[in-house]
Amino acid sequence: MHKVIKLKRYEQPPEGYYEDFLREFHRRQRAELLNPSLSTLLLERLSGLFSELRVPAMAFAGAAAVAVIASIAIIRETPRQETPRVHSVSYTPTMPYSQVPVTIQNVQNMQPVSLRVEMPTSSKPQGGSMLFPPSYLLQARPANHESPLSF
Amino acid sequence: MTADLDTPLNNDKELVARTQGGDPGAFDELIVKYTPRLYGLVYHMTSNHEDTNDLLQDIFSKAYRSMANFRGNSSFYTWMHSIAVNMTINFLKKRNRRQHPSLNDPDSNIENDPDFIAATSKGDPTKEVSIHELQKKLNAAMQKLSHDHRIVVTMFDIQGVPHAEIAKILKISEGTVRSRLFYAHRQLQNSLHEFKKN
Repeated sequence: MHKVIKLKRYEQPPEGYYEDFLREFHRRQRAELLNPSLSTLLLERLSGLFSELRVPAMAFAGAAAVAVIASIAIIRETPRQETPRVHSVSYTPTMPYSQVPVTIQNVQNMQPVSLRVEMPTSSKPQGGSMLFPPSYLLQARPANHESPLSF
Repeated sequence: MTADLDTPLNNDKELVARTQGGDPGAFDELIVKYTPRLYGLVYHMTSNHEDTNDLLQDIFSKAYRSMANFRGNSSFYTWMHSIAVNMTINFLKKRNRRQHPSLNDPDSNIENDPDFIAATSKGDPTKEVSIHELQKKLNAAMQKLSHDHRIVVTMFDIQGVPHAEIAKILKISEGTVRSRLFYAHRQLQNSLHEFKKN
């Protein structure tokens, strides 16, 4: 098996390939210098910028450390978002609506607003009733605009 | 091929030092010296000449850019091969196992090679297998191997790199090199079973 595989060493590139290889290498190097890649340009600009700053080497490490500490503090300080609690209460009527008892307690209240005058109740202080004028309450029943007397 | 391994490493050191000192001519000498060996390494991994050429250019370009970082902890030979192996394996992963035909222009010396004669004819002219057919079968069998197995076969069987040197380049133990070779050979034997019968 070793002998058979060894035969592959006879596979050679076209004649003159090795001579041309170095020429091609130089050509590519020149091309790379003329048309530098975006990453190379960015790296050069950054290195130029940092060299102009003339900041002590430890300053970068310090700045990085401050940034890390600040980010940790921010992350810790961020209030936990309270998720609204959802209460699901299912309403189940105890009896059908048709059977709910309806009581009309005060028939006066059923009169039109224009005819009804609500007098102060007895629970209110005596002196206070004269201070406040009677209040008209708007009830659900619409007012009747027809003349009460018709001849 | 093994003769390249015997080249004085001191010469490499000197060339590396000159390159690091800003002499581009010294790196040219390193390119001339290492191109044939690295071409073989990359070509037997990719099985495609155009891919090999582009990749080899990139490998030397990267090595040139990284020369300032080369501290000499390993030999330049090992360092250069490590770059070549890593870049080739990355390239192969990206290429996503495209199949390429091998070079159809083998060295004519192969016909006089005793190994080739023994492997193909075995004294019987009726059993002769053409060079191209053999190459095709070999390449197909090689392409079936995983990258890790193919690289050890390429370095050991084709290029004659010793186990210890392969271990250094790939940053694995010698035992792992041997076990990968064993497994790769077994796989190749299965793939070339038909050829072996003939």
